[in-house]
Amino acid sequence: MTTPSALMAGYRMLDLCDERGMLCGKIFADMGAEVIKIEPPGGDPARLLPPFYHDEADLEKSLFWFAYQAGKKSITLNLDTADGRAIFQDLVKVADFVVESFPVGYLDSLGLGYEALSRLNPRIIVTSLTPFGDTEPGRSHQADDLILWATGGMMAIMGEQDRPPVRMNLLQSYFHAGAEAAVGTMAAHYPRECTGEGQHVVVNMQACIVWTLMNEQAYPILHGNSVQRNGVFVGSAGMRQRTVFPCKDGYITLLLAGGPLAFSLRAFIQWMDEKGMAPKWMVEKDWSMWGPATFMNAKGEEVQKEIDAIEAAVTAFLMTMTKAEIYAEALKRRILLAPVSTVADIAASEQLAARDFFVPITHEDLGETILYPGPFAKLSATPLRVAGRAPHLGEHNQEVYGKLLGYDKERLIQLRAVGAI
Amino acid sequence: MNRRYAFEGIKVADFTWVGVGPITTKYLADHGATVVRIESHTRPDVLRLAPPWRDGQPGLNRSQFFASFNTSKYGITLDLSKPVAQQLAKKLVAWADIVAESFTPKVMRHWGLDYEQLKQVNPRLIMLSTCQQGQTGPHALYPGFGQLMASLSGFYHISGWPDRPPAPPYGAYTDFIAPRFAATVLMAALDYRRRTGIGQYIDLAQYEASLHFLAPALLDYHVNGRILGREGNHSLRAAPHGAYRCQGEDRWLAISVSNDAQWQNFLAALDHPAWGQEPRFATQSLRLAHRDALDPLVEAWTVQQEAEAAAERLQRAGVPAGVVQNCLDLHQDPRLAAWGMFQYLDHPEMGPSPYEGHQFHLSKTPGELRWAAPVMGQHNEYVFTEILGLSQKEIATLIEEKVIY
Repeated sequence: MTTPSALMAGYRMLDLCDERGMLCGKIFADMGAEVIKIEPPGGDPARLLPPFYHDEADLEKSLFWFAYQAGKKSITLNLDTADGRAIFQDLVKVADFVVESFPVGYLDSLGLGYEALSRLNPRIIVTSLTPFGDTEPGRSHQADDLILWATGGMMAIMGEQDRPPVRMNLLQSYFHAGAEAAVGTMAAHYPRECTGEGQHVVVNMQACIVWTLMNEQAYPILHGNSVQRNGVFVGSAGMRQRTVFPCKDGYITLLLAGGPLAFSLRAFIQWMDEKGMAPKWMVEKDWSMWGPATFMNAKGEEVQKEIDAIEAAVTAFLMTMTKAEIYAEALKRRILLAPVSTVADIAASEQLAARDFFVPITHEDLGETILYPGPFAKLSATPLRVAGRAPHLGEHNQEVYGKLLGYDKERLIQLRAVGAI
Repeated sequence: MNRRYAFEGIKVADFTWVGVGPITTKYLADHGATVVRIESHTRPDVLRLAPPWRDGQPGLNRSQFFASFNTSKYGITLDLSKPVAQQLAKKLVAWADIVAESFTPKVMRHWGLDYEQLKQVNPRLIMLSTCQQGQTGPHALYPGFGQLMASLSGFYHISGWPDRPPAPPYGAYTDFIAPRFAATVLMAALDYRRRTGIGQYIDLAQYEASLHFLAPALLDYHVNGRILGREGNHSLRAAPHGAYRCQGEDRWLAISVSNDAQWQNFLAALDHPAWGQEPRFATQSLRLAHRDALDPLVEAWTVQQEAEAAAERLQRAGVPAGVVQNCLDLHQDPRLAAWGMFQYLDHPEMGPSPYEGHQFHLSKTPGELRWAAPVMGQHNEYVFTEILGLSQKEIATLIEEKVIY
């Protein structure tokens, strides 16, 4: 056999997702699969998600759309018409994957659910993104990013005590779910290639957020308590420790602890000392065991006083420098800290530049080349690549309906006339 | 389907530790692969030393933090700083389809276990190396963990309120991003090898994978020069949109109304309050413009409500809403219960403890938490005899020499 030209070359995905699952198809496109985004004739609503190229709200200028449709093809298809559904069935016969984020049961109601599609093509894998799974009582519940962040448990532990719980910006739950859909789809793909049989993959978006809680879910069961939202502070053994410190032009994340991190704390204090900004007692203190374990056996008030004094000294020191200056020196001294980066800091990263992370993608229609985040991993035999700009609405109708499905011109004209495509 | 698990028969030599690596290999283990985790008492996985512990009591085999990420795996102990152990590791690599590791880049090389050497042992090998910033570049060797990566890769800056310092996400946020990419690409590499016989090396920088969750903001910066910041609970498209206080101690209800139909449903669920008819709230763009006036009116209703009941009432009326759930709430959420999100597995030292179920379900090869995480060296006997073919006498010697340790 000829060697496939890319990791997933030769496989075809039909992408019916709105913004909730767009990243799934993007990951497949980066891996070299042919991903066909199916849009309603007026265009996918996600085409109107901000931000926009030069802030011009336009179906062909959403940067959100650009980011997650890059390298895909676009066809228009109206699933609300019988002709449209018949065309979709033709497509399923020549596809390997379908990924969708409609309300639970919507495709079933059109006669296009997994069972029906698997009769047309037993190999087909259908991946459904659902807010709360496909079982009652969550099946019929609605959610967007905010509701998923809230019901998934992350929101309760973000924010400050004197304000409501808060979410992260930029629709993060959709990206967790979209990327998780890629895992689930691949987990169905491997056995399908061994047995010839596809299956239905259901992604639970709420569960995707619960998984991000790290070690927190078990606290109420095993320790009888849970963390509370506390801004830049974390609590351990009744103490309050700052994790984010102000500096000259922003913030620095720095965890001050002994134990396994003592090497970093010592290096930091030595740096302060060289600049004449370390209090004598900090230089002399034995930090090897300083941390939650020793806090537990100490007098609370005194330990908190000590923590506060350390943090005051550290803040005064950091305030003399910029994020970039602090990070550059930390890299040299192997101090565990990180800037609270903005996208501007990330764009200027010398590490990302050295690895050629950002890649130029040509938008010949805009007369411009735009820098995109590049491959999410570097592979030795089959490098991943951002295959090109996002498609225009229906840009590949001719290619897909004409070449792939072999519809003639007359049929295409007729289908357009009845609003099927 | 004529197989029980998606990845049955697949073999993984798992040198990873902490978050990203073990979470990645857990997908394979829970779906039937034989995953052997190589640990050592000389350098225990730091998560074994981290809470929560069974009954709040620390111990190498008592951490649920570690346990959650290591279900369905075999655990062996091998002190890789010893040449004999390195030879045994190579035997395991010869047996494996996949090697995964998550050290800072120099560590595997130092042990003679980098890809260049391992592919001599196993030419079809697929090897995943995942570290913070990648195997190459000026910052490759910089150590770190997920909290710092979440800060470095921009997520702290967009969390919280615009007039306050960042309110970071709990924990090591990017540790829950990178594995989704790593597992996907590993599975794809397995299929590629099935098709072609060609294995390969995968260098996954957690920094780079995570930035895909910021892609629109990165484009916005490159194109428009805009720097995305914190926006609290504001949305560009929905109002009301936020967390509203309810009856009780620190109880909150999240509500999101993003179109006219949902607005009408919302007003109906509230029994048509008079303010619902005010012209300044008549359209979605007006509601967005007057959201600061709208929020207190919404909260005047929610403070009189019990959060769960109000969420149910709004959902039934067709309004996206949900309780801001803490971890105890999660364990009592009937939706998560129906999905099987929390499962109790029996563990040799911890007894029954709560584990997370899966985020996706496969209809024909469902996968499962096959068994609890291993205690240190739990499967030494099985792996060293059955997989590596050592005799009892050889094993006894290796234990005595602290090679198996």
